[in-house]
Amino acid sequence: MNVHTLSGRQRALPRANWRTVAVPLAAVMAIALFAWHQPAFLGAENLIGILRQVAIVGIMATAMTFVIMTGGIDLSIGPVLALSGLVAVLSLDAGVGLPLALAIALGLGLAIGLLNGSLIAFGQLPPIIVTLAMLSIVRGSALLLGGPDLHAVRGQLAFSFIGTGSLVGLPFSVCLFAAVVALFVFAQRRTPLGLLVAAIGDNERATWLSGHRTRLVTTLIYGLSGLSAALAGLVLSSQVHTGSATYGEFGTELDVIAAVVLGGTQLVGGRGSVVRTVVGVLCLGALNNAMNILDVPIDLQLIAKGLIIAVALGLGQLRS
Amino acid sequence: MDDALPIRARAVTKTYGTQTVLQPTDFGVAAGEVRALVGSNGAGKSTLMKILAGAIVPDAGEVRVGGASAPLGKPIEMLRRGVACIYQHSNLLPEMSVLDNLYLGHFAARRFGWLDRRRQREQAQALLARHRVELDLDGPVGNLPTVKQKQIEILKALALDARVLLMDEPTGWLSVADVARLHETIRGLRASGVAIVYTSHILDDVFAVCDTVTVMRDGQVVADAPISALTRERLIELMVGDTIARQVEAVAQRPAPAAPQDAPRLRVTGLCRQGVFRHVGFDLHAGEILCITGLVGAKRTEVLQAIFGCDRFDAGAVELDGRRVAFKSPREAIAHGVGLVTEDRHREGLLLNLPVAENLILATLRRYCRGPLLQGARVREAALRWIAALNLRPPEPAMLVQALSGGNQQKVLLGKWLDLRPRVLMLDEPTVGVDVGAKAEIYAALRAERSRGMAILVVSSDLEEVMAIADRIVVMAEGRVVRTCAAHDTSIPQLVRDFGAVVPA
Repeated sequence: MNVHTLSGRQRALPRANWRTVAVPLAAVMAIALFAWHQPAFLGAENLIGILRQVAIVGIMATAMTFVIMTGGIDLSIGPVLALSGLVAVLSLDAGVGLPLALAIALGLGLAIGLLNGSLIAFGQLPPIIVTLAMLSIVRGSALLLGGPDLHAVRGQLAFSFIGTGSLVGLPFSVCLFAAVVALFVFAQRRTPLGLLVAAIGDNERATWLSGHRTRLVTTLIYGLSGLSAALAGLVLSSQVHTGSATYGEFGTELDVIAAVVLGGTQLVGGRGSVVRTVVGVLCLGALNNAMNILDVPIDLQLIAKGLIIAVALGLGQLRS
Repeated sequence: MDDALPIRARAVTKTYGTQTVLQPTDFGVAAGEVRALVGSNGAGKSTLMKILAGAIVPDAGEVRVGGASAPLGKPIEMLRRGVACIYQHSNLLPEMSVLDNLYLGHFAARRFGWLDRRRQREQAQALLARHRVELDLDGPVGNLPTVKQKQIEILKALALDARVLLMDEPTGWLSVADVARLHETIRGLRASGVAIVYTSHILDDVFAVCDTVTVMRDGQVVADAPISALTRERLIELMVGDTIARQVEAVAQRPAPAAPQDAPRLRVTGLCRQGVFRHVGFDLHAGEILCITGLVGAKRTEVLQAIFGCDRFDAGAVELDGRRVAFKSPREAIAHGVGLVTEDRHREGLLLNLPVAENLILATLRRYCRGPLLQGARVREAALRWIAALNLRPPEPAMLVQALSGGNQQKVLLGKWLDLRPRVLMLDEPTVGVDVGAKAEIYAALRAERSRGMAILVVSSDLEEVMAIADRIVVMAEGRVVRTCAAHDTSIPQLVRDFGAVVPA
């Protein structure tokens, strides 16, 4: 019996440990190497810059962690980001007050997410198809609303604060990112929702048979993903002082999903951690930043990023 | 056995992990023979069928077709050699026409891979005429009744000149008249020299259409005889095993329970579900263990699920403490203090990749919350309490359930439902794949809950288990209750006779 206990532990622990430390360890090694080569990389200014760059992807990746943990995926976040920013900018332009404009944008994102979720949970449709269809519908709607042009925000200081202001020495967007992370980490560790997300991802039927409203929870999770994309859209539009139907068109979903997966959350659902997603986000951010400093052309950057994701995934797969 | 038989397996073996599902087994069928392959769940018959069909590779042994060694684990090679398998679930493409389905996989081709539709049609019509089956070749398969679809599957095999036909539960979804029609087709095939293997849980079918029978139990062939040499009772005894020898011991330790005098806690009357079960009724009292037993396919699981609200019933009533209930979801059942330990702990019971503690409190999650917060300390405390009460090994709340043995996994599943402190606890085959020690602990836990006044309803096919824990016994066959009796008034041989009871339609 003792033998059984020991062997059980010996099998369970190192694997979990390896998964937890692999990505951070690789990142720290890469960063150390790079910092030795380029001391400017570790400067406070550059580090905060990295945080600011990752805030938008980070907000979405945090919520996406829950979606992927339930065994789903949300591909519609790019267009929701664009639509949210565009709607906010156009509303402000039309004289709508800031709180209401923000509420409209966020509410729209939430509604789109809830619609995704109810089609998936209650309609029993595959997440990849539903959110892919939604990607197209929302992008089309955004284009219908704003055309291909950039819509500039003028004289809206409060709105500009979201993306460019700073709070206690940190960019406000980074504070927002931190707040979203704190909320999700809390939900994951301290509330029944966190347990239910993992339970649904591991065995939805068993969870339902244990008396839980699994479809409602799933719907809510997609709602949160839509909401996070809308928030990210507000940050982006505020940062660049414009709204456009074409924002988030170029692989935004890939960046977000890659960060989640890099953090060790399994695409089949069940296991995952918001904290580790943040590590994944920071690793990708540091990598992008390093390549920018080294003047790596964008085409090579994309290829390198894809390779790194494939290798990280492959290693995770080998271990599991 | 003769090596020149149309199909012949020699010493085929299959092991999954540490579990041997098929001991070295010999099996063969002669031309013009219909051989029944029977046994309870887990007896190894579907493994044997799959080996014959080429769907799985045996660990050892060989399969010979018409005297020549056949490649293992290659369904296409077996088909080419004239061995066709008709699975329980249809393999037809519902949107495509009858003609297309018949020739799917072996198109009559002309040069350059063009289909020769005309030749296909002529061949198909000849086939229909030869077997006297009437079908519209151009109609979509999906619109046809199930028996016609079965016939198409058989014709599809015959279009390939199959010499061996493996049929897995072929009458599962057929009405009585359709079964007779299917049997007529099978007799016709026998006359033309096809070798047929027929697996079924329905013994009437076995006696109606088969010439010989192979009985399997625990991965071995335990009997091989002409069907005329066996009675129905003897066949069932062979299937359920040597429990008879041990029955005395099992019954001896049962004291006669006090006759329940109070009103039943759970009363089920006239419960029906179209085509599944009919007029199922029983009373379950507080402080009692009632076992529902019967052969696989008696629809006992379906009854439990209908009561629990994860499946439906069309008519009848369920009363809990005299109040009529019809749960629309497990959530509702749980709110009323009714729990269900599901049969398949991996698919429907446990969160394998989550820790023991989380699994133990899954059905009672709300009790461990204060406001929106989950109280981790109380979860751990409850987990440790159940770990001690059920003697879980290793006693580690953070251990992933996946890493536990089958017996300990089952104890976790039981603990989850005991934590609900249910008024009625239903258990579906609570000790399948569980070692003897864990079995005894599970029985002890159930007896302890009974003495504390829980009403316990157990579905079990294991007669020793039934005799060991039941106060009263309900026997079901083919979706009906055939007998209800006190455990000390019956015996295993009597139950075995009830299993095969012919239910009047």
